[in-house]
Amino acid sequence: MLLRLLRLILVFTLVISASPSFEAMAQALGQGSIGLVTDQQKVIQGLTAKTDDLEKKIQQDAEDDASLVDIRLQLEDLSRAALTSALAFRSRLTDINNRIEVLGPPPAAGQPQEPDIVTGERQALASEKAEINSVVASAQNLSIRISGLVDKIGNMRSALFRNLLTKRYVLSDALSPQVFSDAQEEYANFYKAVSSWLSFAFKFKFQAILAATFVALGLALVLLVGGRRLFGRVFEADPANEDPSYLSRLSVAFWSTMLPTLAVGVFLASTVFFFNYYNVLRGDIGVFLNALATAIGVIFCVNRLTNAALEPQLPNWRLIPVETGAARWLVRLSTAMAVVISVNTFLSVVNDKMGSPLSLTIARSFVATIVVGIILILMAMLRPFRARDGSWRPWPAWLRYLALALGLFTIIAALLGYIGLALFVSLQVVVTGTALITAYIGFLSARAIGEEGAFANTTVGRWLSTHSSYEDTALDQLGLVVSVAINLLIVLVFLPLILLMWGFQPGDIQAWAYKLATGINIGSVTISVTGILSGIVVFIIGYFLTRWFQGWLDGSVMARGKVDTGVRNSIRLAVGYAGVALAGLVGISAAGIDLSSLALVAGALSLGIGFGLQNVVSNFVSGLILLAERPFKVGDWIVAGDVSGTVKKISVRATEIETFQRQSVILPNSNLINNAVGNWTHRNKLGRVEIKVGVAYGSDVKQVHAMLLEIARSHAMVLKNPEPFVLFSNFGAAALEFEIRVFLADIMNGSVVQNDIRFAVLETFNDQHIEIPSTPRAVVEVNKPKAWPTDDDKIEADFAEQEQAKVEAAAEAKRLAKSGRKARKPDPS
Amino acid sequence: MPCEMQQRRWEHRYCNMWKSLVAAVALLAVSGSAHAASAVNKDAETRTLVVTEGGSKTELALAGGETVEFCQNGCFVTLPNGDLEALTGSETVEISGGVARIK
Repeated sequence: MLLRLLRLILVFTLVISASPSFEAMAQALGQGSIGLVTDQQKVIQGLTAKTDDLEKKIQQDAEDDASLVDIRLQLEDLSRAALTSALAFRSRLTDINNRIEVLGPPPAAGQPQEPDIVTGERQALASEKAEINSVVASAQNLSIRISGLVDKIGNMRSALFRNLLTKRYVLSDALSPQVFSDAQEEYANFYKAVSSWLSFAFKFKFQAILAATFVALGLALVLLVGGRRLFGRVFEADPANEDPSYLSRLSVAFWSTMLPTLAVGVFLASTVFFFNYYNVLRGDIGVFLNALATAIGVIFCVNRLTNAALEPQLPNWRLIPVETGAARWLVRLSTAMAVVISVNTFLSVVNDKMGSPLSLTIARSFVATIVVGIILILMAMLRPFRARDGSWRPWPAWLRYLALALGLFTIIAALLGYIGLALFVSLQVVVTGTALITAYIGFLSARAIGEEGAFANTTVGRWLSTHSSYEDTALDQLGLVVSVAINLLIVLVFLPLILLMWGFQPGDIQAWAYKLATGINIGSVTISVTGILSGIVVFIIGYFLTRWFQGWLDGSVMARGKVDTGVRNSIRLAVGYAGVALAGLVGISAAGIDLSSLALVAGALSLGIGFGLQNVVSNFVSGLILLAERPFKVGDWIVAGDVSGTVKKISVRATEIETFQRQSVILPNSNLINNAVGNWTHRNKLGRVEIKVGVAYGSDVKQVHAMLLEIARSHAMVLKNPEPFVLFSNFGAAALEFEIRVFLADIMNGSVVQNDIRFAVLETFNDQHIEIPSTPRAVVEVNKPKAWPTDDDKIEADFAEQEQAKVEAAAEAKRLAKSGRKARKPDPS
Repeated sequence: MPCEMQQRRWEHRYCNMWKSLVAAVALLAVSGSAHAASAVNKDAETRTLVVTEGGSKTELALAGGETVEFCQNGCFVTLPNGDLEALTGSETVEISGGVARIK
């Protein structure tokens, strides 16, 4: 049904396109194109209007960094839109150009006139083209203008930042008694705003507030309880544990920071969200509440983190081995720092919204930065370690001086009036410091997991080892993978976080991520993360498909088809190589790598291959020939030079042969191709073995011949056809020499048959008294030692004698020591 | 066949060699490739394209038989016949007989 419909549509379009009336067609196209031109003109006008708005906004928000970033993102979108709208003309332009080409150039002066209709159409096309070009040109101008604006925003932002850091305020104005009255006024205003809101909320929205708070609380509780359930043991420090492992200390520190912070964050965020949802917030209260939530979140996070890392109550669980008193002080100081910074940030939001005087802002920031500086210096002066002799030791020099320098810098900058700079530094110290410490703890735990045998001892590792068939080495490798993944995760989470703290806007990071995904240019090289990743993914998929196909072909198709093992092996390997090569090619092109540039590389490499990799390539090609020609297959008994044994495996470069002594010999494939290779089991396993027998001169050779023949015939494994044959081979120096030649169905049984026949020959000859002569080369007289008579009494007597001698010697030594004379060494003279 | 699957030590070592070879080839290939529009001049004479990219106009002179990559993230280009076209950055501009075609 669908097919028929498709066919109908196809016929219909063919009929339309084959319509002889060019004029009608041109008209139809022309009408479509006029619509297109007006459409796109409108689109570009719209974009231009938006750009105008944004340009005005740039002037308005010249002081607001976040808004500038937002404007930049919007501008970039507009630029893309302008390009897209210009792209819409491409097919029409191509049509027009083709048509003009068909019409040909206007006739020259001397040539006959062309029909009017052609002239008219040419003119119409030319004017349409001019229109299109003018629209595209306006899109182009728009994009030029937009990129100029983007550059301007970049300049403005860097100027803004410079200004923030280098602006100097006059402190004497700000720190006058006037400030106190300002502060009082402001506080009164703030109190009024909040209390009026509170009374409004309680009167009209009390139920909504209750509901919102409970829902938020419920969410946070679910998270906390669920987290505790999930991570149970690793979550809390166990005071009974005397010596917790480093890994468990780390995981406790990490999770006991992470989970409660997350829970509090969720609580605060959902409270604000639900307040918004129920329209509880009014006026600036929403902004205040946001700021308050952020402040509480930061204080809580810093406090949790320092508590987790320093554990003032449980010295065993401390990550950094400071003394208990120092740990307590460090927790207090860092919490105080977080409180100061957060309160300052909250108040700055309040100031902003209440439109308070600048002097108040300066005074507040001044106090905050001075306090942070003092706390930093106090931290640096702390002596947290205790030496063996009980004296207190300070921090390592670099840390101490860094903290001191930061603290002094903040204070001095504030005193000199560079409030913006001082505030920036102190904010960075708290927030970046927290993020860095958390990331560092994460890195440490990743390293601890990556250590040998560490992963198997974790909860997950234990669970895996009981519930799966992974061995220790596999678990170890898994641990390595996990540690790499954790490192990667930390970088992915904390790098944007720290960048955010450093004054970059989310828009910046978004733009970077976009660039990273679509490709960054370094010189003429473009590296695109998504491209490379998709290439790798495609290759992996192709690889596993090949494996699966190989397994299916080998296991189901060829095994059922009773295909010879050698052929099976060859086909399997060939399919494997072809599949991997195909997957590689597809992966490379999926990664966006131009295969034609590979050709260049191959050309360059061929020279190197010609010289350096000659052997490797020759072996590789030989391996392919071995697979195709199959002079031997896996399981064959071959003789190549000095090596004789069973073929175990034929791979690309070399073939593995196992000798009968179970020695693995790796023979390069080119040896097997270039030199003669004997194969005992090439077409069949039929083979001949020879057994030499000598009988003494004077024996009845006819009888011997008959006996040997009989023995050979009577063996079960000896083939009747070709018949066994006994050759009277030589009149030897000491014996008349015979040779039994028998054919076996399976030459692999050769040794067994030889053994049997030799035993039988010896037995028969013994029965028939036929001598096998031997020429002794050495006469060995075997002289066995006499067995020692086991005489318990004698051994006992000997032992008693030795004991007696020892006791006497000891008594003698004692006597000498008592008499005060030293046992002297024998006189050397 | 991944190297970890190889049973024997020599194969393992050998496989690693292959791996590094492949990596080298891939690296070379990456460095040789670029995601950009390319312009090919199949004529003998020099042709000029005017490229507007990132707020600036540049003239791109193509000698006979030359291939040039340009326009990484979208641009406008003025073709030899005066047509103005937008490119997304994945096209190939082919100039032959003084006429440019976008593919």
